[in-house]
Amino acid sequence: MPSPIWRRRPTLQRQQVLGLLPLGVVMIVLFGGALALALLQSLGFAPWLGINSFPDVSYFIALWGGASFWWSLWFTLYYSLAATVIALVLAILLALGLTRAFPGRAVFGSLYKLPLVVPYAVGIALAVIMMGNGGVLSRLAFALGWIDDPAQFPLLLTTNAGWGVIAVYVWKQLPFMALAIHAVLISAGREQAEAAAVLGANRRQIFREITWPQIVPGIVSSTLICFAFNMGAFEAPFILGGGFPDTLPVMAWRYFNDADYTLQLQGMAVVVSIGLVAGMMIAVYLATYRRYERSLGRV
Amino acid sequence: MARSQASPHAARFYVVLIVLFMVGPFVPLLVQSFAFQWDWPNLLPSEWWFTARDRARLPLGWDYVLSPYSRLGEAVLNTVLIGSATTLICLAICLPAARVLAREDFAGKRAFEFYLSMPLIVPEAAVGLALSVMFVRVGLAGSYAGIIIAHLIPTIPYMVRMLTAVYQGLDRGFEEQARVLGASRSQALRLVTIPMLLPGILAGCLFTFLVSTNLFLLTFLLGQGKIITLPTLLFAKISGGSLDASAAGIALVATLPGIVLLLISERYLNGLNQLTGR
Repeated sequence: MPSPIWRRRPTLQRQQVLGLLPLGVVMIVLFGGALALALLQSLGFAPWLGINSFPDVSYFIALWGGASFWWSLWFTLYYSLAATVIALVLAILLALGLTRAFPGRAVFGSLYKLPLVVPYAVGIALAVIMMGNGGVLSRLAFALGWIDDPAQFPLLLTTNAGWGVIAVYVWKQLPFMALAIHAVLISAGREQAEAAAVLGANRRQIFREITWPQIVPGIVSSTLICFAFNMGAFEAPFILGGGFPDTLPVMAWRYFNDADYTLQLQGMAVVVSIGLVAGMMIAVYLATYRRYERSLGRV
Repeated sequence: MARSQASPHAARFYVVLIVLFMVGPFVPLLVQSFAFQWDWPNLLPSEWWFTARDRARLPLGWDYVLSPYSRLGEAVLNTVLIGSATTLICLAICLPAARVLAREDFAGKRAFEFYLSMPLIVPEAAVGLALSVMFVRVGLAGSYAGIIIAHLIPTIPYMVRMLTAVYQGLDRGFEEQARVLGASRSQALRLVTIPMLLPGILAGCLFTFLVSTNLFLLTFLLGQGKIITLPTLLFAKISGGSLDASAAGIALVATLPGIVLLLISERYLNGLNQLTGR
């Protein structure tokens, strides 16, 4: 017998609700629980540590009042955004390049996906061996006669300019974006672009009026995922970053690993701040995208 | 038509350049894994590992990597074990849900779908640190169960998405026809629906396994150093910011599962394209 609750919602039958139930429970208990816990703890609720001053915004006030937080936020945003933008530009060109027929396309079209399937730590190892002061690029610079001492090679790793961090993100995420864009280009076909060319449109016009609107949804979803990931990424800035100021995830981890366990609440405030900033930026991004879609008449 | 797109030569040049950026650095990594002495500014090592191995008192390079000291075997085993368990559980909870999401329309469906994709946009550090607090309270920290449960969060969005797309591509008429012709519900599922869904399910499983084996932060935070996987082992090896021969070897081994899965997907599954299939 269906219970009255299900009868009030005729659109979903009991069996369908049962289908959604396991997933819903896991996502609400685990993911929702984690988010709720982070929020509660950042607001002073941690009875298991003997602390309960909920609701208490002092952790946020202490955090946001210090300059180090804003420096960390700046570097977190800078690494995330720079990497996303660079990867996107390269990925669009790659996806467009792969639509052209040339010898060996099948092989190259598979090889570029390699970073997508390996852990970030492998990318970090590659950055260390390529970009370190004793690394391969530095040796090549010597071979070309540009430098004659490793110290003359520009510092690319463990610097706040973050070349290493950004290189790893770009290396890992470029294939992800290119895959999304390329899939759209393949399924959309070339008829529209060819028709426009016949009608006298030049390359720039074709890209702006036809190709770009086709690939924008893929661009938005893949850049969102990559940007959000970069905001919360830990290992690349931990190993390749400047050290101080750390990015926000590294800062949160340091608070959590401090011998003074009460700093965990401060760490949770950092974590919630990452979520707030990322959430706000994503909301603005999506709103802008909606407006764009509306201007095209697609929504 | 020549005016509408870049020339094939320019396109090829660019694609090759990008592939060089993607794959090229693996060459020095491979060289480093076989090196014993590789001083700046030599482009190749002055002494290789295999000529020095007899003199060394401790296992060098690949000898170390393949010895029990490196804990590599343990890490590989854990990675595969956690990845497989995560994939199976993820499939079991996502498959029934994907069926409903693909076929039914209901109040709050869009909100639910958005919620399901939220792990993709909530920073991993936030989820990981909160889960580690939660799991310490319930005794799941540092256990396989804890890591596997945590791995469900980042894998669910992909699995649901891919399986929903699979169900959308499946005409429910086949299933109904089987029922009309006298098949029981379980027969229709077993003999009609599952075989038709199988390629898509395999693609979803493959990608879920891949995401799980590449996860670092959740494993690192919840394994508490007791349970190591390939990404956490490699992280520990290179966290000092330098890379010796054995670290290079471990990095290469950590690349292997991805290469195998990429080959499988390129050969049989239309090359990860389902990932973005919507």
